[in-house]
Amino acid sequence: MRFSTLLRKELRECLPWLLLAAIVFLAVGGFVLHLEPYDENYNYRYSRISPCDILSCYDLTYYPILQVTGPWLLLSSIGLGLVLGVRHFWIPHFTRTWPFLLHRSANRQTILAAKLTAASIAFIISLGTLWFGFYWYACRPEVFAVPQTLRVFIEGWIFIMLGFVVYLGTALSALSTANWYTTKIFGLLLATVIIVTTLSQWTLAGIFTAIAVGVAVLLSQIFDTFLRREF
Amino acid sequence: MTEIVLETKGLTKYYGSTLAVDHMDLQIPRGCICGFVGRNGAGKTTAIKLMLGLLNPTAGSSKLLGCDSSALTPAIRQRIGYVTEGHRLFRWMSIGGLEKFQRAFFPKQWDDKFFADMIEYFNLPKKQKIKHLSNGQRAQVSLALALAPNPELLIMDDPTLGLDAAIRRQFLEGMIELIMRQGRTVLFSSHILGDVERVSDRIVVIDKGVLRANCSLEQFQKAIKKVILSFADSVPDEVNIDGLLHCKRSEKQLELTLIGTDDEKISEWAKSAGAENYQIVKMNLEDQFIEFTAPANHKRLFQWEER
Repeated sequence: MRFSTLLRKELRECLPWLLLAAIVFLAVGGFVLHLEPYDENYNYRYSRISPCDILSCYDLTYYPILQVTGPWLLLSSIGLGLVLGVRHFWIPHFTRTWPFLLHRSANRQTILAAKLTAASIAFIISLGTLWFGFYWYACRPEVFAVPQTLRVFIEGWIFIMLGFVVYLGTALSALSTANWYTTKIFGLLLATVIIVTTLSQWTLAGIFTAIAVGVAVLLSQIFDTFLRREF
Repeated sequence: MTEIVLETKGLTKYYGSTLAVDHMDLQIPRGCICGFVGRNGAGKTTAIKLMLGLLNPTAGSSKLLGCDSSALTPAIRQRIGYVTEGHRLFRWMSIGGLEKFQRAFFPKQWDDKFFADMIEYFNLPKKQKIKHLSNGQRAQVSLALALAPNPELLIMDDPTLGLDAAIRRQFLEGMIELIMRQGRTVLFSSHILGDVERVSDRIVVIDKGVLRANCSLEQFQKAIKKVILSFADSVPDEVNIDGLLHCKRSEKQLELTLIGTDDEKISEWAKSAGAENYQIVKMNLEDQFIEFTAPANHKRLFQWEER
């Protein structure tokens, strides 16, 4: 009852931002998907390839269409993570509502869990559902000549998870009382940057492991800081 | 034996090298209305936040309803109402939404009728969003939210700050509603001594983080006196009367502010000092507080012009 009340409140605070992220990704991603099938260089030749044709190396460099929307998904995800982190953890500082939120018949773990759950739901509802929708649309045989791979679909979820990592990083930066350059988040941010830059060279399993470790470290730090922090 | 609902032992808080609360030993018995007064920056808000476990003490401890402040359980918090400084509420919520939100945390105690009555009394529409309310209206909502769960202990941090006289009166009347309920304890910090005088039966004075007084309002008012002594020739050089807080001299008059000095001693000292006559001037609580917390060598504004 108390958790669900807190969750509803946190979700309501997320709502405008999750809608914005969804609209941006739907509009841009949808636009890209809509235009791409008419790109002669992409689809036209593929539709005329017969089993007897000799394919050049150039022809083989074509990628699944869904990959074109990837950067937009990553941008939307990081943007959403940043905004939700600010909304959930920085704004209560500015508006000084932490004492009002914390003094109630719910412990701090419950209050924090509600915020994190709301953020997870926001990511899944806005970007996750859309990504699934795009994948489903792109997989239909009559739409695109080049088949969509499961790898591309999983890569999308990695981008969504990176947005959640940014959310956790923003949360920790709001809760930490140390100087920015002495915080553990500084090191973690560096690590995140390194992860992002090496994403393309990693195997999916490697990327997942790195993100899972990052999320686990950030979560344990956030819980520890939140439970001991002064408001 | 009177039950103690709020207790601090050597409660100390440093912000870096700044001492905000200095070894505060405080006990508040059940059923009293306690005015917690101090000048700006005296440490009232810090002390309240320490008591509620929102800040961690540097040293010492505090207990609310028998539970250590650093480990207040949801069940104990349920019994404590808290009105935050500046009435900071969720701005995007409506009054009705905030009521629903708050009610969920007090499922058995929440008094719907009481909340509705208070909102009606304050003439506030439930659909109104918090962000569209004035400071005074937010204070009213804040009070209604804190009182509706019928808390055993109500702690308010400067609840009447920035409110006009009419709203302040309404607010205090709302507070009296709670006071009418037996066994309820209220601790409220305030700058406005008139408010404290009107509703409190106990006063706690904090000055530069140090607890200076914790007694009944009546005791405090009886203890601080101003005495004006007139002399035929000149005033004595040395004033060595017990309980002297401040001494102001003019050519033939001596104005003393005393604490805890009984009338008999004043009379004896006046005779021994050679005063022609003396009179004890009645002080209001505000004057008493100012004299009580003023530093010994305090100067008046523009005193330099009088040279």
